[in-house]
Amino acid sequence: MSDTLNRERLLRAYRTMRTIREFEERVHTEFATGDIPGFVHLYAGEEASATGVCMHLRGDDYIASTHRGHGHCIAKGVDPVGMMAEIWGKSTGSCKGKGGSMHIADLSKGMLGANGIVGGGGPLICGTALAAKMKNDKTVGVCFFGDGASNQGTILEAMNLATVWSLPAIFVAENNGYAETTSSSWSVACDNIADRASAFGMPGVIVDGFDFFAVHEAAGEAVRRAREGGGPTLIEVKVSRYYGHFEGDQQTYRAAGEVQKLRDEKDCLLQFRRRVTADGDITDAELGTIDAEVLALIDDSVVRAKADPKPGPDDLLTDVYVSY
Amino acid sequence: MARKITYQQAINEALDQEMARDPSVIVMGEDNAGGEGSPGEMDAWGGVLGVTKGLYHKHPGRVLDTPISESGFIGAAIGAACNGLRPVAELMFVDFMGVCFDQIFNQAAKFKYMFGGKAETPVVIRTMYGAGFRAAAQHSQCLYSLFTHIPGLKVAIPSNPYDAKGLLIQSIRDNDPVIFMEHKVLYTMEGDVPEESYSVPFGEAAVVREGDDVTIVALGRMVSFAQDAAQALQKNGIHCEIIDPRTTSPLDEDTILESVEKTGRLVVVDESNPRCSMASDIAGLVAQKAFGALKAPIEQVTAPHVPPPFSDALEDLYIPNAAKIESAVSKIREYG
Amino acid sequence: MVKSGGITVGVIANPASGRDIRRLTAKASVFSMSEKANMVQRLLGPLGTFAVDRVLMMPDATGIAAAVLRAVQANEAQGRTVWPRVEFVTQELVGGAVDSQTAARLMQDAGAKLIVVLGGDGTHRVVAAAVPDMPLATLSTGTNNVFPDWREATVTGIATALYVTGSVGADIALQRNKRLCVQLGERTETALVDVCVTRLTHVGARAIWEPDTIAELYVAFAEPDAIGLSSIAAMFQLIARDEPRGAYLRCAPNGRQVLAAIAPGVLERIVVDHFENMVPGVTYPVRTKRGSIALDGEREIEFHHGQVPQISLMLNGPPTLNVTATLAAAVNSGVMVDPVVRSVVR
Repeated sequence: MSDTLNRERLLRAYRTMRTIREFEERVHTEFATGDIPGFVHLYAGEEASATGVCMHLRGDDYIASTHRGHGHCIAKGVDPVGMMAEIWGKSTGSCKGKGGSMHIADLSKGMLGANGIVGGGGPLICGTALAAKMKNDKTVGVCFFGDGASNQGTILEAMNLATVWSLPAIFVAENNGYAETTSSSWSVACDNIADRASAFGMPGVIVDGFDFFAVHEAAGEAVRRAREGGGPTLIEVKVSRYYGHFEGDQQTYRAAGEVQKLRDEKDCLLQFRRRVTADGDITDAELGTIDAEVLALIDDSVVRAKADPKPGPDDLLTDVYVSY
Repeated sequence: MARKITYQQAINEALDQEMARDPSVIVMGEDNAGGEGSPGEMDAWGGVLGVTKGLYHKHPGRVLDTPISESGFIGAAIGAACNGLRPVAELMFVDFMGVCFDQIFNQAAKFKYMFGGKAETPVVIRTMYGAGFRAAAQHSQCLYSLFTHIPGLKVAIPSNPYDAKGLLIQSIRDNDPVIFMEHKVLYTMEGDVPEESYSVPFGEAAVVREGDDVTIVALGRMVSFAQDAAQALQKNGIHCEIIDPRTTSPLDEDTILESVEKTGRLVVVDESNPRCSMASDIAGLVAQKAFGALKAPIEQVTAPHVPPPFSDALEDLYIPNAAKIESAVSKIREYG
Repeated sequence: MVKSGGITVGVIANPASGRDIRRLTAKASVFSMSEKANMVQRLLGPLGTFAVDRVLMMPDATGIAAAVLRAVQANEAQGRTVWPRVEFVTQELVGGAVDSQTAARLMQDAGAKLIVVLGGDGTHRVVAAAVPDMPLATLSTGTNNVFPDWREATVTGIATALYVTGSVGADIALQRNKRLCVQLGERTETALVDVCVTRLTHVGARAIWEPDTIAELYVAFAEPDAIGLSSIAAMFQLIARDEPRGAYLRCAPNGRQVLAAIAPGVLERIVVDHFENMVPGVTYPVRTKRGSIALDGEREIEFHHGQVPQISLMLNGPPTLNVTATLAAAVNSGVMVDPVVRSVVR
């Protein structure tokens, strides 16, 4: 079993998932006040996916993310305080307020950016993986994409290229059921995105995205395989988002009670808590401590994001080129 | 030591020398190795017109064939540039930018700004452009103005073998994404090129010919047409100054403006279509910043607002030539 | 859905079968949705020809039902073959095994005489649990396919029609299987082939592919050519599907070693220190203190300190269609020569 889930790792997984949830829930409430500019897409509900995958990654492994990228950022180690400031458009943000929610990146953490272009990350991850292979540094690249992106040529081209070049790449299709308002059961012709893997000569597997343990185990195998030179894998994570496509989406295309039912019956955090506390290895009190610490962190990030300065006029013209 | 080689050989030599100097430089593109997976020999082509031929065996493992998958491999070159390599990717014909432009203008061009300055993308995209091969509408365009429009990209347009080598070496060493435009008709052009490595800096126009009467700004293949025109006009006592910007982003505005301040007259020669072109851009620049020096309206010599045609009878009409440049110069000489 | 639909057959094609992590760990096969839809179409021809009136299908959100529906319309337009009337049972899809179980119950209520199941061991297990006495015609489209037949759907369609139209009687056409019952507190689960107690504390990605995670194994039958965990038992002793016994094995470092194909593409050394026959109706307490339990190769149940799952072998497993015996009986009784069939419109 790759990366056995000992106590320390279980607690870390919980802290990551809780941080993502708390971050997203807070951005949701703050957005409603009208304080946050622009388009914001929340990852709440999908925490087990980013966490289950990224727990297998080293700092120098790369991930490419999506417009729904906050969870991937946090799971890959990007500082939530900088992220919150970025979402507020402040100069202290991860990208000095020049990127915003859809473009949070930290290359020093191997986070190649949330991406406003659906399917934009696939070719890029082939590139980081190609570099990894040529440098023989045993790193891997993970491309997170959604069910919408699964129909983009870039993703299909990237999967083909990854097999042709036998790259250490993992394609994680987070199928949350909707591309904006359009159901993936309608828009994805073969329905299971994982089925497309066989056309590109790579294994394709489906995992329950509400189940951290399922994602973690499948991702562990895929990452191990890529690191050892076994080539790319496609993992389809069947999951759902708790909020709309973007903040402000009234979600009238969804079934009544759909989200509440998922929150009550399948939620990744509830499920995780129930399962890890069943044997008493980890106590409710320990998880409660993490909850409190995460809450304090997010509180602090919001207070700071609100107080921090915005970028100045001089910042408009910098950072376009290294030299010009 | 300089000797005469072709534009194509100069590009190949720049790639070879940079690959030898820096192990992080790799070359990729359709048929760049030429023959991957096929039963015959490797390096059969070296790219569709043979520009990379010979590199495959000299630099084992660093010249990669790609599937015909421009979004995939241009994006991969960009991703690899983010992870420590200096890829030189060949987009066979610039006309194919339509199937990969997102990776160029939404990804590579924007990473540095979007990520608050904390990303560098040292990728070079080499691409063939231009009419003259009877290659018709989808294999003959210029399109450099589209790249020039995008903040974050640099665009180099060498007009001769010397600049081709020097600008490509500069492109590879540059830490920003560079679009390197190679005119397919110029591949056979010969010129003096030093054997040793050298670079031509970006944003420094070449004054190809000095003169006091009319400034001609010409790009790429148009520079030699401008020289032909200037030669003929000299006989009539008209002294043209020819400026080759060499890079359109960054653009050496000062050299252009200084020349127009001296001559008071400007002809811009651009093989691309006229609307939102380098011709209109440079004309606008001069109208705005050197209005007081102008003695006549600015003339633009460009292809017409039509796609590149196939028939030689039409394509020859489509491409600007020395005669059209001469008549444009004559027209503004007569003004005022 | 009414009972008066004429001679009715149910078809459950599990969209989720054959998609788990074994594609990654063991190069296990992938049955595409379109192939599952094709198999259903290959069933419809013989069913219609041999006078089955109606086929009830499970709806799904993954395209199998949609592809079949398109095929039905195309078949009507072309008028080439007589298919039964195809109807879909009305159910709310929730995803997972529950959908197959709901569909099976609805088909039973609507008077289906048999259900054709397209899936692996897992799909057959959940359908059998929902409708314990419903005859099943089994077709493999899963990963570990020990229980269902590896067979061309057309042939299964012929045998199905011969049974449901009464040409071949239940005494010949059907065989009774065994089942393994797992009891944990209030929870009861069934397996058709094997129950494996693993040292893995979490259900995780469900499959089992690493031998040192196996603690105990219970098998209903052990065939020499099986794939999956039951093959471990088969390497020691063969147990037929109709024998009134099973087997119980314990793995420990100091036992005897066999090489077994515990998953597609995975041939592993397994060390077993205890082997005994399971007696039907006797309850066997699990000895492992903590771990998870796999039913027919998929981890389904997590158990903890202080919980003792109980395993028992039962002889009242699902009745399944014996395709070879059915067709042989039909041939021997002469009904296959100048058969009474519905005419094909040309």
